[in-house]
Parts: sequence; C-alpha cells; structure tokens
Amino acid sequence: MAKARVLDRRRKSIRGIRKITRTMELISTAQFKRAMNRATAAAAYTRRITALVGHLARSGLEVSHPLLEPRPEPKQATLLVLSANRGMCAGYNAGVLRQAVTRYNELANVASEVSLEVVGKRGISAFRFRKIPIDEAFTHFEDRPSFAEVDVLAERYLQDFTAGRLDRLDVAFTRFESASHRQAVVETLLPLGSLQGAEDKAPARETQYEFLPSAASILDEVVPMSFRVRLFKCFLDAAVSEQIARMVAMKTATENADGMISHLSMAYNRARQGQITGELLEIIGGADALNG
Amino acid sequence: MLQCIVVTPERTVFDRPAEFVALTLYDGEIGVAPEHAPMIGRLGCGEMRVVNQGQTERYYIEGGFVEVLGDVVSVLTRRAAAASEIDEAVVGEQLSAARARPATTPEAIQIRDRAIAQARAQLRICRRT
Repeated sequence: MAKARVLDRRRKSIRGIRKITRTMELISTAQFKRAMNRATAAAAYTRRITALVGHLARSGLEVSHPLLEPRPEPKQATLLVLSANRGMCAGYNAGVLRQAVTRYNELANVASEVSLEVVGKRGISAFRFRKIPIDEAFTHFEDRPSFAEVDVLAERYLQDFTAGRLDRLDVAFTRFESASHRQAVVETLLPLGSLQGAEDKAPARETQYEFLPSAASILDEVVPMSFRVRLFKCFLDAAVSEQIARMVAMKTATENADGMISHLSMAYNRARQGQITGELLEIIGGADALNG
Repeated sequence: MLQCIVVTPERTVFDRPAEFVALTLYDGEIGVAPEHAPMIGRLGCGEMRVVNQGQTERYYIEGGFVEVLGDVVSVLTRRAAAASEIDEAVVGEQLSAARARPATTPEAIQIRDRAIAQARAQLRICRRT
C-alpha cells in the first residue's frame, strides 16, 4: 500500500497548491481590470495636455523651458526603479531589475554621483543582495498608486532639478503596451527632452487664442505638469503590468498543477491496480497450494 | 450650450452640458458663457461653478489650466472635488498644520504659502454653503 499512499498524498498537496494559484489568478484578474480602468481614465489627461501643448506651439510660441534642455555633462543622476512588493509574477521583477542594473552601471560611468531609489520590496532586496546601496526605498505604493502620492516624489525631483542638485532622472519600469505585450524599459524623464505635441507645427485652421496671463506663463506651468503626469503614468503602467504578469504566471501554474494531478492520478491508479493484482495472485497461489 | 469637461491626472471627473461656467484663474474669477472667444488660461485654487438649468453646482479646483475652444470648456486640474465633499474640520486642521510649518528658505516659504492658500480656498467654499 506504501507507494500508492505516497502518490495520493502528493496529489492532495498539489490539489491544495492548485486551489491557491487559482484563487490568486482570480484576484489578479480583478485587480488587473481595476488597474486597467484607472490607466484608461488617466489617459484622458495626457491626451488633453498634449493637445494643449500643440495649441501653444501652433500659436508661434517657442517651446523652451529649463526642464526641456539637455544637460551635456550630468553630475548627479538618479535612477528610480519601480518593482513589485510581492513576487509570484514570473519575470516581472527580474526584467525590471536587469534593465535597472545595466543602467545603473552606465550612469555610474557617466555621472559622478548616482543615487538609487527603489519602489517595491522585491527590488529593495535584490539590490541589497547585489550590495548596491539604496538611497531611498518606498514600499507604500500598492496596486493603486494615487496621483497625490506620486506627486510628492515628482515635486522633490523638480525642486532638485531646478536647484541643480539633480541633472538626470531615469526611471526603470515595465511599460504596458497591450494585454499580451509588456516590456521592461528605462526612460529618461529629466530633462524631459521634448514635449509631446510640441512638434506639431501644422498651421491647421488658425485659431487665435487668448492667453491668460501669457503663453509663456502657461508654458511655465505646462512643462512641470507634463513631467508629473509622465511620472504618474510610469507608476500606472507598472501597476497594470504587474497584475497582468501575475495573472499569466498564476494561470500557467494552475495549468501545470492540473497536468501534474492527472499524471499523479494515473500513476496512483496503476500502483493501486498493481497492488490488487499482486494480492489476488497471492490468494490464488495459496488456494492452489491447499488444493494440490 | 457649453460642454464642460473636468479632467484630473487620475480620471475624468465629469463631462456634461452647462449654460455657464465660472472659474478661478490665477488672479481672479472668469465667467464663460456660450460663444466665448478661444482662450487658454492658468487656473488658481478656488471655486468652480457650473450652472445648468438654473441649478448651480460648486466644485473646488486646485490649479491647472482651462481651455475654451468653440463651446467646449476643458478644465485640466490636479484635483477637483464637489463642495459637499470637502470637510471643514479636516481642511481647518490642514490650515493650522500649514501655518505651523517652519519655513526658513525661500522655497519652503513658497510651499507653505501655497498650502495655506489651498486650505483657505477650500474653507471659503465650505463656508459659502
């Protein structure tokens, strides 16, 4: 009976695991939908601010701002890494970290001082393992980062950048492209380089806008705001990607568990059958010996 | 009729027709009625009133921009809350916290002043109801 019992016990424990992975799959599906809704809702602002910049550019305003100008020799650089607080999401954290470490080494060659800021427990422990010192660590960004939370960070970066304490800000995160496609990337957010919509110089049916107080003053406000929104979008993308990655990973895990259960069931049945056959043979053999 | 759209970085707060919209710009209030000239303006912290069929709805908005084009008024702001959602006690605490904050550098003073202005604007809206 020994072999069959062992198989049965294994099958039971795998059933337990399957239950857990299945539940996690369902949870992350629900969270993914929520995160996705938030990301779509947030896209409206980006769309409108892009249109606004387009209108400013078309009115003949030279789009220039300290935040847009490249700084040729960055001294102080910051790398912000967006990872997850929890694991169980396949290559999600590993992908971001691989990109982040490569960029960190590149920055260390270019800039004299590189500070590393990490969001998410997974990222924090990974950098600790590699013995790379972390300057700031955040774990309070959950599945639903709010604009107010991200804005605190954005405000600090903006102040540091204007004061000359920061020359370059890179963000490593997972960009969400479609439900089946996500990519770990590193983007340079400061200096911003260019504003989306600013290149749009087409003299479309000219509308004469009235600017209150002036186009330049509005631009002064638009540029920092675009930065805040772009940083916020990085957080939203990371949140959506994390949920998808977890959903896919848990779906695969559930399917694997199913496969294993059916495999073990077969082995168990065979072992049980073999045992019964063995016992029958013993009985028949015994009866034959008595008769003979 | 105007179409009034209010958007924050997190979501579209509302998108609905209006007869008249009053907004707080950086230095004072502006009223937008249908057939307004195209305009882009910088917003301050304060009240936004949306009048539709004799009903006035009041909101608190925090900075950002307004764009008027045709009969569409798009408001891009950091935060928008209906006047009824603002809790006077909470804002009062924010105001006293902002006042008590030590500010020694010019930047810190600027931050403090902005926090005070935001809290005061919210209080004004609360007290008008």
